[in-house]
Amino acid sequence: MAAHRVIIMASLLFCLAGTCYGKVLFSSLKKTLDVTASPKHGQVVEAGLDAITVTWALNKTLPAGTDSSYKTIKVKLCYAPISQQDRAWRKTEDELSRDKTCQHKIVAKPYDASNKTVHTFEWLIERDVPEATYFVRAYALDSNDVQVGYGQTSDAKKTSNLFKIQAITGRHLSLDTCSACLSAFSVVSLIFFFYIEKRKKH
Amino acid sequence: MQHQPHRDFPTKPPSSTVSLDADGKTTDFRPFSAAKSPQMRTFHLSWLNLFSCFFATFSIPPLIPVIRDDLHLTASEIGAAGSASFAGAIVSRLLMGPICDLVGPRIASGTLSLITAPIILATSLASTPQSFIIIRFLVGFSIATFVSNQFWTSSMFSPSCVGAANAVAAGWANMGSGVTQLLMPLLYSLIMSLFHVPSSTAWRLSFILPAIFQALTGILVLAFGHDPVPSRNRKVGPKESVFSVVMGGLRDYRGWILGLLYGFCFGVEMTTDNIIAGYFYDRFGVNLQTAGTIAACFGMANFFSRPTGGLVSDAMGKRFGVRGRLWALWVVQTVAGLLCVLLGRVNSLWSSIVVMCCFSVFVQAASGLTFGVVPFVSSRSLGVISGMTGSGGTIGAVVTQLLLFSGDTMSKQTSISLMGLMMIICTLPVTLIYFPQGGGMFCGPTSNDDPLEENYTLLE
Repeated sequence: MAAHRVIIMASLLFCLAGTCYGKVLFSSLKKTLDVTASPKHGQVVEAGLDAITVTWALNKTLPAGTDSSYKTIKVKLCYAPISQQDRAWRKTEDELSRDKTCQHKIVAKPYDASNKTVHTFEWLIERDVPEATYFVRAYALDSNDVQVGYGQTSDAKKTSNLFKIQAITGRHLSLDTCSACLSAFSVVSLIFFFYIEKRKKH
Repeated sequence: MQHQPHRDFPTKPPSSTVSLDADGKTTDFRPFSAAKSPQMRTFHLSWLNLFSCFFATFSIPPLIPVIRDDLHLTASEIGAAGSASFAGAIVSRLLMGPICDLVGPRIASGTLSLITAPIILATSLASTPQSFIIIRFLVGFSIATFVSNQFWTSSMFSPSCVGAANAVAAGWANMGSGVTQLLMPLLYSLIMSLFHVPSSTAWRLSFILPAIFQALTGILVLAFGHDPVPSRNRKVGPKESVFSVVMGGLRDYRGWILGLLYGFCFGVEMTTDNIIAGYFYDRFGVNLQTAGTIAACFGMANFFSRPTGGLVSDAMGKRFGVRGRLWALWVVQTVAGLLCVLLGRVNSLWSSIVVMCCFSVFVQAASGLTFGVVPFVSSRSLGVISGMTGSGGTIGAVVTQLLLFSGDTMSKQTSISLMGLMMIICTLPVTLIYFPQGGGMFCGPTSNDDPLEENYTLLE
């Protein structure tokens, strides 16, 4: 009996330790924040050029004290399901430490429970953000940087309020010209070599 | 052989040391001494050229985590591109065999390198998934140089050291696939920080380096390489045509079995080169440079592991004849298969790295051991047999890549274990190889001396 108790206590301890060490499940989080983003559903914005405005605030209908443990709000850009298809490196996992849905940080701000205003942030879309369809999600983190709540612009199935970010192309005329010149050099060397060989034979 | 050698080796060796056997092949193989003899100089030029081809072909995989976002590739498209890169090599390696018999390995290697260098440059122009797949298909052509390299070393070095010579050349050249995994992410970061260009420009600029390197080595090979002389001691039978040389090779069942074996040692090695950086990046969350470094360890083990395979082959050949070479090949390749199965089963980063390193040593040694057997199958159709075996390598790569690493149906670790299982099964046919003058794994030699020496098998 004593042995059983020890095992149960040990497992409980490990589970708790697991929670402390980041094994937070997304399904365990409550949607407590109201988050909006400026792009409308289906709108296309350009990376490196356009800016999006995100806002977040605690949902007014929640009882007081819900946000007592919130210390930081981290707002992130997240891939919509269509951009996750056949791309395992963007897969959604319930365990947040392994989840790859939200890979781009927009902003992280400290949270003050007494300040009840709606927070706003204007973000110039970084030029390295890949071209894909996105939504915005904000995580509320406690003093140990563990997620304790969230909010997002889209619905639970991630079908509404999705917008597209258009990336810049990396191709430039100078790059194309350089490639063409080097290729020509390669082919010309070959022709030159065959010419020399032929001359040596005669 | 059909080609006219442009520059012959000197008929009288200089007073220092090129010792030649009855066939005009050297028995001196000293890769670490200063390259005084024309054979050693040519040896170094040839493997360096092949190194640059591997460097170029495998320069794309380490940057795929960046390229896939830029070209919005899906996992299936990446898998298709990986298979395409090998498919290009299948046909070109098959053709390379008879081409070497026709024009000689020097012209074959140099020309191929110079023609494929622009294709690597074209990678920087890719902007759609389709163009990416096409480019990877075309870039794969350059590793047909492998066949001409092995043909070249098999022609220059005598049977006592041909296993080691083939294996050192191929092993050191294969390091190109490892070095590139290390260098390309570093180059990409350097370009981004030095020139302050966005990621999508930086990765494109990175491909200038492999292209220039490949073109340069191609020029060096053409300018300074020496064509091998035809074998002097061979009793020439009826007038040989290209067709009879090719058919002679294709009809030999041993070429097919060696092709299958090579498909599951070298082919597996190439597939692993394609997926291993991404595997560590995605599964264990390391960053691009770290994933590249780990992947580089896999490829760079070739420096000693493939040569070790060749040395073991030669040592077994000295003691037990060609039977020893076959046994060593079977044992090493089976162990490699077991380690591959294990790699897919371990769950932590460090144990994966350790198992991967052991796996790399064995799978690369198996490649060296395979080409320790190839020169003995046929002298007349050496190019064709080398081409068949080499092609088999790339076919194995395509098959494993297509079956196991395209799309999302299986987790990568399961695919890796299955690949190991396939290796073990497909190594079994080596038991069927039989040399009339040397025997097979389970049978001794029968009476020898084919009066016409048509197949002219080389034995110690």
